[in-house]
Amino acid sequence: MSSFADLLDRFFYRPDEEVGPYLELAPQTDRAQDPVPEEEPEEFLAFMLEGETYAVPIGAVREILKISDVTEIPRSKKNLIGLINVRGEMLPLYDVKVRLRLAETIPTVRTSKDVARSARVVILRDPEGDAGVLVDRVDGVVKLQLSRLEEAPQLGIDRNAIAGLGRRDDLLFILLDVEQALS
Amino acid sequence: MAPRALTDFVAEATEILDTLDRELMALEERGSGDPDPDRLNAIFRASHSLKGLSAMFGLEGLARLSHRAEDLLDALRLGKVHLDDTLLEALSQTVDVLHAMLGEAARGEDTADVKERAEVVSAELRRLARGQAVESGDVLDAIGIDPSVRAVFTEYEEHRLRENVKKGVGLWKVRAVFGLDDFDTRLTELNRALKPLGEVVSTLPSSQPGDDASIAFDLIFGSGRDREEIQGALIEGSSLSPLGRVPVPPPSVPLPTNLPPKKAPVWDDVSVSGPALTPISSSGSGISSSPSGLTRLSGGAPVETSMRSLTNTVRVDIGRLDGLMNSIGELLLIRSNIERLAEAARQTQGTALPKLWGQELQREARSLERRLDELQKGVLEVRMVPLGQVFDKLARLMRRLVKESGKDIAFDVSGGDVELDKLIVEELSDPLMHLLRNALDHGVEQPEQRQARGKSGRATIGLVARQQGNHVIIEVKDDGNGLDEARIREVAIERGLVTRDQTEEMERRELLNLVFQPGFSTRRDVSELSGRGVGLDVVKTNLQRLSGLIDIESRRAQGTTFTLTLPLTLAIIRALMVSVSGRTYAIPLNSVLEIVQIRTDALKTIEKREVIEVRGQTLPFIRLARVFGLPEEPRVAHYVVLVGLAQQRLGLAIDDLLGQQDIVTKPLSGRLRGIPGIAGATELGDRRAVLVLDVGALMEELMRATPTSTRDSA
Repeated sequence: MSSFADLLDRFFYRPDEEVGPYLELAPQTDRAQDPVPEEEPEEFLAFMLEGETYAVPIGAVREILKISDVTEIPRSKKNLIGLINVRGEMLPLYDVKVRLRLAETIPTVRTSKDVARSARVVILRDPEGDAGVLVDRVDGVVKLQLSRLEEAPQLGIDRNAIAGLGRRDDLLFILLDVEQALS
Repeated sequence: MAPRALTDFVAEATEILDTLDRELMALEERGSGDPDPDRLNAIFRASHSLKGLSAMFGLEGLARLSHRAEDLLDALRLGKVHLDDTLLEALSQTVDVLHAMLGEAARGEDTADVKERAEVVSAELRRLARGQAVESGDVLDAIGIDPSVRAVFTEYEEHRLRENVKKGVGLWKVRAVFGLDDFDTRLTELNRALKPLGEVVSTLPSSQPGDDASIAFDLIFGSGRDREEIQGALIEGSSLSPLGRVPVPPPSVPLPTNLPPKKAPVWDDVSVSGPALTPISSSGSGISSSPSGLTRLSGGAPVETSMRSLTNTVRVDIGRLDGLMNSIGELLLIRSNIERLAEAARQTQGTALPKLWGQELQREARSLERRLDELQKGVLEVRMVPLGQVFDKLARLMRRLVKESGKDIAFDVSGGDVELDKLIVEELSDPLMHLLRNALDHGVEQPEQRQARGKSGRATIGLVARQQGNHVIIEVKDDGNGLDEARIREVAIERGLVTRDQTEEMERRELLNLVFQPGFSTRRDVSELSGRGVGLDVVKTNLQRLSGLIDIESRRAQGTTFTLTLPLTLAIIRALMVSVSGRTYAIPLNSVLEIVQIRTDALKTIEKREVIEVRGQTLPFIRLARVFGLPEEPRVAHYVVLVGLAQQRLGLAIDDLLGQQDIVTKPLSGRLRGIPGIAGATELGDRRAVLVLDVGALMEELMRATPTSTRDSA
């Protein structure tokens, strides 16, 4: 019986973690901090990559998916993990960890078994064509004030892919430059 | 003009011009003399439609020229001028100019050159339309027809009646009384029955109307058959009586010149798509005699010639069909998912409920599958158009080219009824044109030379199509020179396409295939028609785009045949699913020639490249795993998929065959564009994305390195 339920689940699988629910959570995380009235904070989607918290503007996020089967594409660019089928649409799935020097090699991902249970695919909107990014965990939506963003420090890291740093309480959010990270 | 409206106009006008083309050609084939009135009418109607349409869209040039053509055709129809070669030529040129003008209109151009041509043709048409005067003395006067009947004839009908009298056939009046509810179909039926026996000159409302529930017609019918035979053809509700040949006092017959000037109302000021007016509703005396019937008639009952039935085709943008096709593809996937689900539910241990449920699901899935198959077939059929669409155009052009070339050539076309996907048919006209021009320019010799070779002075160029399974074979053949392989070799070396050493090893077939190399042309003088040296490689690339194959067969002094093999459709393709190092790939089946198994120890190498021998032919052996950089395991034997595109062949080594499947290829867009050797992806029943190989690109890439086929570096 459970396998049948599982099948049903797989068959009707959908963007099971739309951004929507996180939006509702967002104001609560915001309550502790007194808001600066003159500036509307921007919303970002926060996610984990190798223990660090990264964030992208919520407007750039199309949907969040659990990982399904990934088809490898021979002779493609190095940071491409493979091809995923999003309801009939064939989208590329990229790795950004190597670009951000968080990992040495591109992981081989073929099925959901190859990644941790918490891993998700964040589909980003992009004029060059929507693309998926594999992340370790999706944390939620965070509000950050653009005027308070810091520039990334010179740490010998590739700063091109980093748009800046955001702070909320004790948490550090590294803002990803989507275009750069995917190139 | 709104772009959309223009597109529609061009589509419709093209269709009309195509009809003109076809009918003119048929007319020409019959030669000069007595033209078939139906054919003439069709041509007249087409030019009239074109006039109306162009005027509506404000294209004055087109409207004016088609108006001139219409005038001439009207004169022809009414017997005022006679059909001869000059006239046919003028009409044929008119159609050419109309084509050119339409082309300009579509591109939004307006050149002086075309305008000038239009002027010339227009003047010629006008000159011809003035033509010969009608002979004096009206034969109709002699036979004596009731003046009230005669008064309602149109000028055209009178002309046809006169022609029938001249032919000396019997004239009959067929009285038909039909019920009001179905008189239009019955009348059509009657017309159809009479047609083989003679000519229905006119259909008039009867002067003796039937009862309230029916309507009566008099059909004026000219026929050489005897009474019994005509009687036998009549359908229920109709009766026969002789017309004319009864002496009538001459004074009571009004002279035709006294009649009010008439023109066939069918043709004038009727919108193209509107219901056809018939002589009945426009005629004077007929109307008053049966007013009740007429109100019905004006509701659009076609009596003799109806514009309504000009065409049975519906124009659909091919993009919309593609869209439909895609959704069918999606539906097919959902179907297989449901089936999988049903299967799983059926096999679940335990409670009976899901089991029953599963069975039911499965049954539903099966009926869904049946419907989907029908739908898929239906949409595919809608996309299919007869090759004749292209063949007719080519035949016209060839006729002109043959005339200009001064050679004596018979052009044989057959298989125009073979159907192919619209997209493919559209793409075919250029390659076929090139091949035909080549046959005309390079293939066929001058008559003297032919006779010296012991061949008939009249050469034959053939264009033949036939269906063979899932493919259509088109042959372009001539019985001329044949290809000169020595000359081909020299030119290829001269142009640096191959080295002399390489040609030493080449077989005749390979040598012949050199003509498909870019920049190749064996004739030095560049004729107006072809010989620009771009022909055959364009043919090759065009065909590759259509997943087609091309082959040459040629014998010195006996002729050349180009054989084109094309898939029936490109929308949903059948693919061979293969596995390589645990990955699944789809290879479009239309480029798969055969599958063989080769033992690893049977592999040979040439210059360190692996080759295999299949029935005496040595082919490159390419390990797909190696090309794609996938891990390889040593194996005793390989499956080899022999693929071919255009004139090239090679063997792709794969690990396993997984079967065949219909797939809808989705192109890889955006960031993934331009990945070598991958045409796109398709999803299988389990939602996995599977890559579809681009066999053409793979071959181009892999053959580039092989010694026998020097590739273009451009």
